[in-house]
Amino acid sequence: MIELKNVCLSFGDKQILKNISLKVQDNTIKAILGPSGVGKSTILKLMLGLIKPDCGKVLVDGTDITSMKETELYEIRRKMGMVFQGNALFDSLTISQNLGFFLRENLNLPESEVAQRVGEQIRFAGLEGYEDKLPESLSGGMRKRVAIGRAMIFKPRMILFDEPTAGLDPVSSKKILSLISDLRHNNNLGAVIVTHIIDDVFHTADCVSVLYQGEIIFDDVTEKLHDSQHPFIRSILSDKILEL
Amino acid sequence: MLSNIIGNLWKQFTSDLKEFLYNIQEFFLFSLRAFFTFPKMKRYWRDVLDQMAICGTDSIPIVLVSSISIGALLAIEVGNLLEDFGAKTMLGRSTSISVLRELGPLLMGLMLSARFGSRNGAELGAMKISEQIDALRAFGTDPIAKLVMPRLVAALIMFFPLTALSDYAGLHSAAYLAEHYHKLDPGIFWNSVYPRLVPKDFVVGFLKAPVFAIIITLVSSFNGFSARGGTAGVGRSTIKGIVVSSGLVLVANFYVSKIVLENM
Repeated sequence: MIELKNVCLSFGDKQILKNISLKVQDNTIKAILGPSGVGKSTILKLMLGLIKPDCGKVLVDGTDITSMKETELYEIRRKMGMVFQGNALFDSLTISQNLGFFLRENLNLPESEVAQRVGEQIRFAGLEGYEDKLPESLSGGMRKRVAIGRAMIFKPRMILFDEPTAGLDPVSSKKILSLISDLRHNNNLGAVIVTHIIDDVFHTADCVSVLYQGEIIFDDVTEKLHDSQHPFIRSILSDKILEL
Repeated sequence: MLSNIIGNLWKQFTSDLKEFLYNIQEFFLFSLRAFFTFPKMKRYWRDVLDQMAICGTDSIPIVLVSSISIGALLAIEVGNLLEDFGAKTMLGRSTSISVLRELGPLLMGLMLSARFGSRNGAELGAMKISEQIDALRAFGTDPIAKLVMPRLVAALIMFFPLTALSDYAGLHSAAYLAEHYHKLDPGIFWNSVYPRLVPKDFVVGFLKAPVFAIIITLVSSFNGFSARGGTAGVGRSTIKGIVVSSGLVLVANFYVSKIVLENM
């Protein structure tokens, strides 16, 4: 379980997060919805300990990670997989090298097991035949699937998605959303999805937190979003995509 | 009105000063972390070898071009000057000191700052902008151990043979020009070089190799890691890395020479 307790964060003079609290339970998919530049991706980085809050706590399985050293955080981070908005694939490595990179880097697994796990992810992502290609030769949707495969290869308990469908065509978006839904059904994984597209939330999430002007203005199961009378939520329900 | 302008200028000055001091602090912490990751060298030996090829063997052409040019230029200019005093036989001694102690290592440092430093800055900056460095951290890999330490180790190892090569090429180009331009017998040239060379001539030159390696690698890598603001940001951080490391190479060149020559 990941929990943010009274977290606040500023970049320079700009306060990004104002005393926010939220919980992500295991085996659930939680969406964090909000307009661009409001600090959604920052929340994911806080959850991974990539940045530290100015105040408040970030608890992973009850352990506060805000005061941990970088080396201590590596163990915590292996409980989570991260799919970055731009995928962050290593452009000089092939697809199978990208998938196997962190297994070789961080776990002393025999090469046969690395190959087996890479093969599983290649099949899961539907990328058979692309193993030896470089990321630049793949489409945006394919790259996203490689990034998801890379996040899953550690067998984490939670995957964090930063704008998983941003910049993808409708068909690729649908594939990615199905893949995310399958993660929980087939692998019993939890997920946090940061997005500004409300359709993504209804398609995948069990519960949703809406971030607006640095504050959480809604935090409940997705179905109840329709009942909210907050003007911002009413406007996004009518517009569907947050063009801010 | 005037007080407002002064107030704004003061605010800007203090803000810039604060950022400068913060960057200095971050740079030293970054450098310390790079040195503290040396025990992980065994794990990243392949990366060290890759970087040795990049900063070592791939840099040979540019080091040769710069050292041959400076050796030839020195032979012509110093030879002309010495000829006026009837001391052309001292050409070997004069050029060898300049090449071995000062200009050979300095030009090599500047060339490597431009070549190796710019590559580091651009590559690491692009990795930073595309979140690849965050991805390394997110999946439990220390990016400094993986990306900076191999570059630093490779530079520390390879700058020595490059300095030797630079000295060799510079001296031989000077000897060639002495023979064919100034019509000086090669025996006279080399006789004024070898018997008069003393250990400190080599110490000065070769001590600069690790100093330049540390400056160029750490400054360029730090600027790559600090890149922000898209592709333009990568350009800015790369340029900053080259400018700062070149400046520091010039300053370090002076101080290493001064310290060694005063104490040996």
